[in-house]
Amino acid sequence: MRCKLEGRIIVITSGKGGVGKTTATASIGAALALEGKRVAVIDMDIGLRNLDVVMGLENRIVFNIVDVVNGKCKLSQAAIRDRRIENLFLIPASQSDNKDVLTPAGVERVGKLLKKEFDYVLMDSPAGIERGFENAVASADEAVVICTPDVSSVRDADRVIGLLYARSITPKLVVNRIVPEMVANGDMLSHEDVIDVLSVPLLGLVPMDQQVIISSNVGLPLVMQSDSTAGQAFRRIARRLNGESDLPIQVPSHQKGVWGMLNRKFGKK
Amino acid sequence: MLNSLFKRFAGHTPGNETAKKRLKFTLICDQLEVNDSTLKNLQDDIIQVISRYFEIDREGLQLQFQRDKDLSTLAFNTPILCVKKELGRAVPDQGVKERQR
Repeated sequence: MRCKLEGRIIVITSGKGGVGKTTATASIGAALALEGKRVAVIDMDIGLRNLDVVMGLENRIVFNIVDVVNGKCKLSQAAIRDRRIENLFLIPASQSDNKDVLTPAGVERVGKLLKKEFDYVLMDSPAGIERGFENAVASADEAVVICTPDVSSVRDADRVIGLLYARSITPKLVVNRIVPEMVANGDMLSHEDVIDVLSVPLLGLVPMDQQVIISSNVGLPLVMQSDSTAGQAFRRIARRLNGESDLPIQVPSHQKGVWGMLNRKFGKK
Repeated sequence: MLNSLFKRFAGHTPGNETAKKRLKFTLICDQLEVNDSTLKNLQDDIIQVISRYFEIDREGLQLQFQRDKDLSTLAFNTPILCVKKELGRAVPDQGVKERQR
């Protein structure tokens, strides 16, 4: 029998949809498991589940988080074990219910059980700031806010950051989908601009990467692709979360000229 | 890089600067839950009050918004050209700060 753990529950949220919450949850979860931690990723987007397909576990679903909260099954029955990465588990969302079937109190109760079973519990929050969001943050000790470098995403992130502060959580920021060429040309907000506006601690910077779509097509973990710049960025984010807080944050850059070409050609990290 | 320099010489404002400006202004309005016209009226009123005592450069007036964990600060900065004679008494501090929340 395993000794009881005292895990950390981290909610991954953004306010705006489509900025990469689900990809971030799957990737950070997988990366933490690769670091040797026991990890559960939980899809809190009831009615619009997607974490299962991103992780390639969609055809192994029997029970879901709604069943767990409503006491229809045990935690261990709903947790799907990832066969490629040891110690990584998914608890999927229900696809037939809507967000109102869960209550923050119910999620909080299950959160306490989850903490005893896992080192890290990542809650993939739905877009928006209504009930679904409230359920996702109900049991969270910490929060990671994902945003992309555009006006609407940063604005929504600011709103969510305000809501998290109100719950005494100081969120950490991940700026996703940075296009270094556009930043260099002054056509995209730089990560400094975003941090200046949002003034929360930075956790990591993730470049735009076609591998994200390629991996999600086949349901392979992004962090296991050595040629994925985004995957490598998420691995660093996981290491920083997992106590290596002095690991430097890498700023995505585009290499021009012969070296850049060679690096791209030979898939150097 | 060269491209962006060229654009600057041609008098283009880079997209990221426009984005940042718009973003900051939007966030002020969002956080204070006021619309631009209220903010504009506030600015006009403040100018009026300051103008009673100082000659100020209206063009140089800046509205800044800063947010920390539990305190937000709205700051109006204005270059003061001179003190109006009839009211005397110079004030060493340049600019007026309004605290919010």
